[in-house]
Amino acid sequence: MSATDKPLPSKPLSRKPGKPFYFNTSEHLLRIGRQKATTLSELLQALQTCPEDSIFQHTFRTLQEHHFIRQGFSNDFAHWSLSACHEPVLAEQLASVDVREFTAIDGLRGRMVETVDEFLQEHPRSGSRAAHEAFYFCASDLVVLPTTFVANSLAGFLDGLNQVSVHSIHHHFIEARLRLHRMSNDFSQWLEEEIGLEQAAEAIERIDIYTHTMEGVRLQIARIVGQALN
Amino acid sequence: MKTKDQRANIVSTSAGTDNRGDAKSAAVVVPPRPAAPGRGNGRALPASVLTPPAPSPPPHLDDYRNIIGQAQVDALRFLARGLKGKTIKMVNSTAVGGGVAEMLNRLVPLLSELDVPTHWDVITGGNDFFEVTKAFHNALHGSPYELTKAAQEIFLMYNEQNRERLQFGEEMVVIHDPQPVGLIRSRAKTSARWVWRCHIDLSNPNAQVWGFLRPFVEQYDAAIFSSQSFARQLPIPQYLFYPCIDPLSEKNKELPEELLQKVCDDFGIDRKRPIVTQVSRFDRLKDPVGVVQAYKLAKKYVDCQLVLAGGGASDDPEGAAVLQEVKEEAGNDPDIIILDLPPWCGLEINAIQRASTIVVQKSLKEGFGLTVTEALWKGKPTIAGAVGGIPNQIIHKLTGVLVHSVEGCAFQIRYLLTHPEFARSIGVSGREHVKENFLITTNVKRWLLLYRILLEKARRG
Repeated sequence: MSATDKPLPSKPLSRKPGKPFYFNTSEHLLRIGRQKATTLSELLQALQTCPEDSIFQHTFRTLQEHHFIRQGFSNDFAHWSLSACHEPVLAEQLASVDVREFTAIDGLRGRMVETVDEFLQEHPRSGSRAAHEAFYFCASDLVVLPTTFVANSLAGFLDGLNQVSVHSIHHHFIEARLRLHRMSNDFSQWLEEEIGLEQAAEAIERIDIYTHTMEGVRLQIARIVGQALN
Repeated sequence: MKTKDQRANIVSTSAGTDNRGDAKSAAVVVPPRPAAPGRGNGRALPASVLTPPAPSPPPHLDDYRNIIGQAQVDALRFLARGLKGKTIKMVNSTAVGGGVAEMLNRLVPLLSELDVPTHWDVITGGNDFFEVTKAFHNALHGSPYELTKAAQEIFLMYNEQNRERLQFGEEMVVIHDPQPVGLIRSRAKTSARWVWRCHIDLSNPNAQVWGFLRPFVEQYDAAIFSSQSFARQLPIPQYLFYPCIDPLSEKNKELPEELLQKVCDDFGIDRKRPIVTQVSRFDRLKDPVGVVQAYKLAKKYVDCQLVLAGGGASDDPEGAAVLQEVKEEAGNDPDIIILDLPPWCGLEINAIQRASTIVVQKSLKEGFGLTVTEALWKGKPTIAGAVGGIPNQIIHKLTGVLVHSVEGCAFQIRYLLTHPEFARSIGVSGREHVKENFLITTNVKRWLLLYRILLEKARRG
């Protein structure tokens, strides 16, 4: 039984929220960048110099683009290492990077660079081998939009959670830490600060986004909130 | 090739909010009826496909609610709210025929319905202009071509004529493909944002032609391409808009079971046995002979039928030759069903794809490959060549399978037919991938996002 399957101890709802939860969503427009890589060495160089929004696109954003894939489409760098460069070891190492460990893109970039660099030091010949297809560094222009859902209670929050799009779930659950600059997400923060449900907040924060689709993540969050409601 | 008179009849085709869904305001040239369709491998085509059906009116935004969900429809409305009353002009080179016109037929009414009035204009030109732009088209795809001064002058002359004829009062102007790219010279007279939408593969363009067109492209505020690899090194932002399908069109809408059965009965397809289908023109770049070879290899291990549903053999000498090659390769196998269908058989193609167990698109070269998108949308496990835009749609073993040879295709046919659970799972993921990235409503969203972003940039100076 995972941490998220354990039933939460029953606790009376401590307070009515001081602030409602506004469900927003974000929509992205993909922009093709100037950099591309045709070898792992070029990937390493470009990882160090590409704009931050490129790192965001190929890590955070790709989870939203491929939200329906259960087997894990962790990030574009991992996928390219496997599908175009045929380097499964590097692919697995890159895939294991959890974007939620980072509250700023800088740290995430550093981890990616470090992973590729170490791999190439151990496998120098892999650096210059031509990839089956090039990696094009892209980025997103982002627009944040409101939705029709505003929660003034825990029941309203659960209702909104069940009805908003997966893009909204991604916006609040995954992208949020870059906005908040803390190891949390909008849902957990609101549950903890406005409702007083610290344990539910922690349980939500521990959900593994890489072994579930975004719909699966939604269901788990809803289950945790539903348990707290009951 | 259209005559000058025919092209000159295509004028403005505005679709404002008040006449959404109405016939276009100017005369539209009806394409000449193609020759009678061929008979494939001997079966007579049913009478129902011998005449084109009446076109259906374009859907409303709410018609897509059951497909994309209320939340996504709301997102489109929220996006459009910030653009209410702002207008768009779309300009391309033809009102009928081809993917761009088909896409604009859907896009323009939907944008207008969202209170972003969108006007569609089509440029005019003589035979000489369209011969030059056809040569440019091939050259931009990499064909050898000597760019003459005369060709440049013809191109510039017709662009100038259209520039004088057309009005550009909208806040955003979108020019589709190279033919009207010179209209950017009107930019100085407007405060609009100008966008160049390139639908073709520019990954390996003829240097002379690209060198001639590039200075025009660089004057736009943004360019849009259908794939990362088609983009060029330009000093302007370049966006990625995938081509899209309309899930409510004849080619893609849900169909009742009875219709699937009827179509299969009409074409002699046995639904009680596995069906492997490729839908494509009879064109060597689609490798229909290779598909027959793959089927034969697979058939040593698994029972199945092969359906090759295409067209182009009756109006294209090369297509006729390819069809003959396919028939020779197929021999007398009663389980290979070859259909040379007229271009208006979207419903029948839809039914055949839906009735199929597996869909194949074993292209050797491809643009984006919307037939793959159609198959994925129907939840069909799809095997496709790893070329062109297909890898953007098929993530190997996740949303479909990619192959590089006849043998690879044969193996995947065997594998998918003997592992139905895996086949089903990639079919489900393939459909979700299309829903996320390749539907007309996603395209509408991209246009609204781009418009907002460009206006915001202009506001910030």
